[in-house]
Amino acid sequence: MMKDEGGKMVNLTIEGRAVSVPEGTTILEAAKTAGVLVPHYCYHPGLPVAGVCRMCLVEVEKAPKLAPSCATTVGEGQVVHVYSEKALEARKGVLELLLINHPLDCPLCDPAGECELQDYTFQEGRADSRYHEPKRFNPVEDFGGDVLYVTNRCILCTRCVRFMEDVHEDAVLCVSERGDRATIGKAPDADLTQPWAANVIDLCPVGALVSKDFLNKARAWELDRTASVCTGCSQGCNNVLETRDNVVVRMKPRSNEDVNHFYLCDAGRLDYRWMNRPDRAEVPKIRLHDVLSPVDWDIAIQEVGGRMKGKRAYVVASPRLSNEALFLLKRIVKQTGGEGVFRCATGPEAPLPGVKDLSLRADRAPNVRGAELLGFKRNDADPLAGLKDGDVLVLADESLGGLDLSAAKKASAIIVIGTTLVDGITPAVVLPIANVAEEEGTFTNLRGRVQRFLQAKTAPGLARPSWYALADLATALGVPSDDMHLPSTIFTALAKSEPAFTGLSYDTIGLRGGLVAGATAGAH
Amino acid sequence: MAITVKVMERPLGEVSYVRATLKGLALTLKHLVDPHRVTIQYPEEKWDLSPRWRGTHRMLTTEDGSAKCVACGLCPTVCPANCIKLVPGEDEAGNRYPLVFEIDEFRCIFCGYCQEVCPEEAIHMGRHYENAEFNRARFVYDLERLTAQTHPVSELWDPAHPRGE
Repeated sequence: MMKDEGGKMVNLTIEGRAVSVPEGTTILEAAKTAGVLVPHYCYHPGLPVAGVCRMCLVEVEKAPKLAPSCATTVGEGQVVHVYSEKALEARKGVLELLLINHPLDCPLCDPAGECELQDYTFQEGRADSRYHEPKRFNPVEDFGGDVLYVTNRCILCTRCVRFMEDVHEDAVLCVSERGDRATIGKAPDADLTQPWAANVIDLCPVGALVSKDFLNKARAWELDRTASVCTGCSQGCNNVLETRDNVVVRMKPRSNEDVNHFYLCDAGRLDYRWMNRPDRAEVPKIRLHDVLSPVDWDIAIQEVGGRMKGKRAYVVASPRLSNEALFLLKRIVKQTGGEGVFRCATGPEAPLPGVKDLSLRADRAPNVRGAELLGFKRNDADPLAGLKDGDVLVLADESLGGLDLSAAKKASAIIVIGTTLVDGITPAVVLPIANVAEEEGTFTNLRGRVQRFLQAKTAPGLARPSWYALADLATALGVPSDDMHLPSTIFTALAKSEPAFTGLSYDTIGLRGGLVAGATAGAH
Repeated sequence: MAITVKVMERPLGEVSYVRATLKGLALTLKHLVDPHRVTIQYPEEKWDLSPRWRGTHRMLTTEDGSAKCVACGLCPTVCPANCIKLVPGEDEAGNRYPLVFEIDEFRCIFCGYCQEVCPEEAIHMGRHYENAEFNRARFVYDLERLTAQTHPVSELWDPAHPRGE
C-alpha cells in the first residue's frame, strides 16, 4: 500500500519507532505502518477525512497543541507520541463527552463485543461517569432496507453520511439538527434500499446502525469467522463467513484493495441462508430396482465408473463450483471424449459509483471466468443442446431449474453430483457434495483473479468436498490423478497443465488472490 | 540366641485404662445433664444459611412478571462450567429477550459468576439447598422454573458497604 511511487519519502518517529512513508500520508496511516493503532471513529481509509470525532488526537513534539492524526500529514523529523499523558488525557475527555448521551445499553446492543466505543472506553476511558443529568432520548428509526438507526447510540462520526454521499453517490443521509440535538437524518422520501447501502452497518463504529437481518441473533464473541469469497456474482468480493454452532449467521466484507476494498453489496451479504439449508443430499445413492438406495461411497463411485465405461460424459457444471472441481470435471470429460457446458443465471448490474470497477455483476456466479478458462462452453438458454443419444449426463451442482428436461431422456444414465437432489429427473447415481461454506477451494473472478475460500462449517452426513468426490471418480475412470486428494495438490496439477494458471499455487495466491495469465492488476 | 527385651517400668496410674474410661463416662454424663446439641432436627428444623450462600439459581422478574433477562449473553460466556444455554429472541415490541434459558444444575459449580456478571440483576444464586428430584432431567432448570422459584437470593456483596453498589 505504502509503495514509493516516485514521490518523496518522509522520515518520522512514532512512539519511538522510526518510519518512512510517502509525502502526504497522514500520521494515522503512518502509525499503522509502525504497528501503532491510533484510536479513531470518524476516520475510515475508504472515506474522505472529516476530522469530527477528535478521538485520534496525538501529541506532536514542537506543535503548539494536539493534532488530529487522521487529518494531519506527516512532516520530516516529526516526533509523535500516541500514548503520552497529554494525548491520553485528551482522548479520555473525548470519550467522556461521547458517552454523555450514549445509553450504555451494551447488554441489549447488537454490536457489543465488536464496538469501537466499547473497546476504546475499556482501553483508555474513565471507569465511571460524572454526568448525572437525564440523557437525551430519541426513538429508533427504520432507515429501510436492512438498516435500523438507533439514534441514542450514535456518536455522529458521519461515516455513514460520507459513504452515501461520496462512495454511493446518492446522498440520502445527513446530519440534521445541531448541537446536542444532532442526529443522522434521512431524506424524507428516500430509503436505504440502494444496492450497496447496507455497508453503512459495517462502517458504523458503534451500535447506531444495525442490521435487521442479524438483530438479536448472536453475540459477536460467539461467532467463528472464516475467510471466504462471496458467491453472489462474478466480482468475487472477499468476505468473512461468521458461523455459530455450524450455522452461517452473517456475512461481512473482508477488505481487499484489488477487488472490493471494504464493501459487500446487500444482495451478496444477505444471500447466505442457502448454505444452511436442511434438505441436503447426505448419503451417496444408486438406483437399485428402480429405487434410490443409500450405499457406500466406494460402491457409488464404482457404479458411476461402470455406467460411464465406453460412453461420452456430457457434463453440465455449475459456475459455482471451484476451479479444482471444474478441473477434475474437465479431466473426466477429456478421458471420455465428452463435452462440458455450463450456464449462469444473470441479473441487472449494480455498480458502486465511488469505487473503480466494483459492481454487482450481471453473471450471478463466482467462477464463470474459471469455467471458461477450463474449457467449459457457456450456454445459458439450453445447456442440454449438445447431449447426444447414449451419453452419460453428469449434473455437477447444477439443478437445471426452469429448463425443459425432456432432452435429458436421451442420456443413457444421469449422474447427479450435487448438494441436493434435482427435481424432475431420475438419476442413476447421486453423489452428495459439500457446498462452498463446507469446503476449501478457489474461484476465478471476472478480472482473472484466482481467490481462495476456506471451510467455515462441516458438511452434513457423508457429503464430501466436491474435489474429493471428483478425484475418486476420475481415478475410477482411469484418469491419472495421483496425489489429488487435497485442494492444494489439485491446484498444483491444475497450474501445471493449464497455461492460464501457470505459476499460481496456494502459497502464492494467499488470501488476496493471484492473477491468471493475461489478466492485468490495473483492471481493478 | 535369645533376644533381650527391655521392659519399661511405668507407673500404674499411667498405664491403667480405668482412669480413661471414667474420664470418658464423665464427659458423656456431662452432655446428658447439660445438652450441647449439634444435630439439627431436619426437616422440622432448617439450617440458618449465610447471606452469601450460593445455591440453585433464581431468575428475578419485572413488575409484569416476565424475566428481567435481556439475553445479553454474558452469563453463558462467563460460566466456567458451560452450564447455561441461551438463545436470544425478539418479542412483539422488538425487545430482546431469552427464547431459551436453561441452567443445568448438575453441571453448575455454583461459583456465582453469572450473578456477578449480570448487568440487569436478573439471574441470582439462591439461598436454598433442598433440590432433590425424582429424575435427572428435572435438574435442567428452564426459564419458567427459574422465574417461579421463591426462595431468597444470595447477596454476593454487602449492599450496605460503600463499595457494594
